[in-house]
Amino acid sequence: MPPLVSSNQSAQIAAASSLQFVLPEIVTAFKQQTGHNLRVTYGSSGNFLRQIVQGAPFELFLSADESYATMLVEKKLTVDSGRVYALGRLAVITPENSGIALTPDLSSFATALEEGHLQHFAIANPDHAPYGRAARETLQALGLWQALQPRLVKGENVAQATQFAISGSSQGGIVAYALALAPAISRLSRVLPIDQSRHQPIRQRMVLLKSAGGIARLFYDFLSEPEAQAIFQRRGFEVPQV
Amino acid sequence: MDDSGFKLRLKQQQPIPLDVEIECRAGELLALVGPSGAGKSTILRTIAGLHRPDAGSIQCGQAVWLDRQSNIDVPVQSRRIGFVFQDYALFPHLTAQQNVIIALGHLDSNRRHERASQLLEQVNLKGLENRLPENLSGGQRQRVALARALARDPEVLLLDEPFSAVDQVTRRKLQQELVVLRRAIQIPILLVTHDLDEAAMLADRLYVLHKGQTLQNGKPGEVMRQPNSALVARLMGHSNIFSAVVEAHDSAQGVSRIDWGGISLELELNEAFAVGSMIDWVIHPAHIIMHRRDRPSLGERENPVHGVVREFLELGETVAISLELEANQAIYLKFTLSRHSATRNGLAVGVAASVSLLAEGIHLMPKQ
Amino acid sequence: MDITALTLSLKLAFWTCLILLPLAVFVGRLLAWQHFPGKAWVEAIIALPLVLPPTVLGFYLLIGMGANSSFGQFYHSLTGNHLVFTFDGLLLASVIFNLPFAIQPMQRAFEAIPTNIREAAWCCGLSKLESLQRIELPLAWPGVVSALALTFAHTLGEFGVVLMVGGNIEGETKTIAISIYDRVQAFDNHTAGIMSAFLLLFSLVTIGLVYRLTYRRRRHGR
Repeated sequence: MPPLVSSNQSAQIAAASSLQFVLPEIVTAFKQQTGHNLRVTYGSSGNFLRQIVQGAPFELFLSADESYATMLVEKKLTVDSGRVYALGRLAVITPENSGIALTPDLSSFATALEEGHLQHFAIANPDHAPYGRAARETLQALGLWQALQPRLVKGENVAQATQFAISGSSQGGIVAYALALAPAISRLSRVLPIDQSRHQPIRQRMVLLKSAGGIARLFYDFLSEPEAQAIFQRRGFEVPQV
Repeated sequence: MDDSGFKLRLKQQQPIPLDVEIECRAGELLALVGPSGAGKSTILRTIAGLHRPDAGSIQCGQAVWLDRQSNIDVPVQSRRIGFVFQDYALFPHLTAQQNVIIALGHLDSNRRHERASQLLEQVNLKGLENRLPENLSGGQRQRVALARALARDPEVLLLDEPFSAVDQVTRRKLQQELVVLRRAIQIPILLVTHDLDEAAMLADRLYVLHKGQTLQNGKPGEVMRQPNSALVARLMGHSNIFSAVVEAHDSAQGVSRIDWGGISLELELNEAFAVGSMIDWVIHPAHIIMHRRDRPSLGERENPVHGVVREFLELGETVAISLELEANQAIYLKFTLSRHSATRNGLAVGVAASVSLLAEGIHLMPKQ
Repeated sequence: MDITALTLSLKLAFWTCLILLPLAVFVGRLLAWQHFPGKAWVEAIIALPLVLPPTVLGFYLLIGMGANSSFGQFYHSLTGNHLVFTFDGLLLASVIFNLPFAIQPMQRAFEAIPTNIREAAWCCGLSKLESLQRIELPLAWPGVVSALALTFAHTLGEFGVVLMVGGNIEGETKTIAISIYDRVQAFDNHTAGIMSAFLLLFSLVTIGLVYRLTYRRRRHGR
């Protein structure tokens, strides 16, 4: 039985950094509907995993992929095995004045590389960031991975990768579409979403922790409802087929 | 003033006010005495080139070291001065020998070692050449500092309270060594000291400084016996400084009389002070003679003064006495007595006593 | 063990020390003995990296060194290189970040030399330069060496700024601290543990040796 809920409490949510522009809108909708507050912390999923294992008081964890959430399930720290709430999408991005055209096969980057115009290309670190892994898969699928390797600038998480990509010291990068769509980013750049067939799906799974209170559970359900799902789709995510 | 001497004129308002003129001949030792803040160290530092005054000039022998008006200011390194600092300022990472050698830059490198050894021997430090300052006693360090100052073959030697940081016994020894050393070197020497006894012992002349002004200069004995004002008398350590009014001058008898708070005193004729004028006068304890109860003497007729002992301080073998005058209880005479004299005369607090003030010891000074 | 990252870190520490040595001796000595209006502010600016989080420095460096910035472009026209995502940029960041670690101990060392020792040197006929070489530097030397040891070790441990502006490029900006962090992020605690232990020992031995060697010298100032 969920504990009693009062309007003074709020729930602690840990959310992947790729959600930082889409989640506030969903949170506002939730508040309008239920009157409850939420406290959301954004960060890299790997860090959250570590923290939660060490006892950090989060009630709901929205991971950027499945594996981190699954590890929590295996450690029996969750209520159940959770749910996929969205599918992450990639986009190729370039600073406004870079002069490189955006095509689905990223061929213009290959050209720029050959002609020596490409100094840096940003992705999240493929070793531990889900969007970085997907970016690597995409580049491998397009046959550009070997060539671009020496030019890669790796962000600690996909948010930092995005920042690098539009910084002016890079000529572009592959980042989360959700981040690229945000006004703060799209204002300074040109964006093209990447076909999802180029990489393994970025299945973003969420889990309720055993300590989750009533508000967190309400929010968990809310995220799968049509209103929230529509917001996800509008903001650069793919919604899971029910 | 012959050419090998030293001449200084200094005037400034900041950081401390100074207005002095000093001359020192070759082979002469001049002491600068006065309270802290009088400007004594500043004067030495100015001579060394470590301080630049607003206005003034310094001439050493033929060379002009400083002339603010003509914009001449010879840098420290080019003035051949020997400076002994109050806390020695030895280079802690160099041995005694190396400390001296470093000042021998004007000699060929192959002669420096020998000359340094010579100097160290001259200051009685033979055998200690290879010690670091941290392994030398205070007195030994001061000798190294002196040797180093002399190494420059200086045209003037500047000593800034050189013996104040060592104990009494060592100080006496160092003072004696300085006296011996002086015979060997014939350059002007300026010594800054707080210690009047030291000044009296070592100096040919002394300058009394106060708030940047020279109050008096002359032979130590002279300044001591004949200070030219109450302030100088105080600075020289006199404790019996009083005011009086000139009563009369009797040229027939060769005496002058002064009215000291109702007491009439007789002294040697001194017509420099007008009758009726207010003056200060001073008397040295040596000229205050105790009236002995058991053996009255003729001397007791000279300026007899009666009073009551108000303070009786035993300081070792002497006793310091404050005598409250019977005629004017606001006035106290201070003098010292050997302990056994004090006992023989039955002196103690509250006991009546009489003294004579010897006429020759009464020295008049203009009121400032 | 990520040898490339280790070599990079050592190279960064070495070059930082090399650049900071003359700079810090000069500035430290100047601050020790000169007084000028605004001196307190200069000292405060130098001390900023001690109190500011590395993220602030990282932020300003990104803006100030980027390819769009005037300084970045100036540097590019001078050397043909960029500052962001390069070793050069990291070195610049490291020098700035280590200013107080290098300057402050040296300043203290020079301040500890009593003024009258310098004056005595001049009175002995030494020029200002000779006085610096033969008197001041030998006496300030333990402070100078301590400053360098601190700077070296501090650079090896630099993380926040590198994380923000480095870009994690192997052989260029992926220092050993970043490498350790990466391994932890990837849940490879084994490798992370080896590298951490190594770094700990290395730093300890380096600083310990330096302190030991200057211990005797440090006692001379009295």
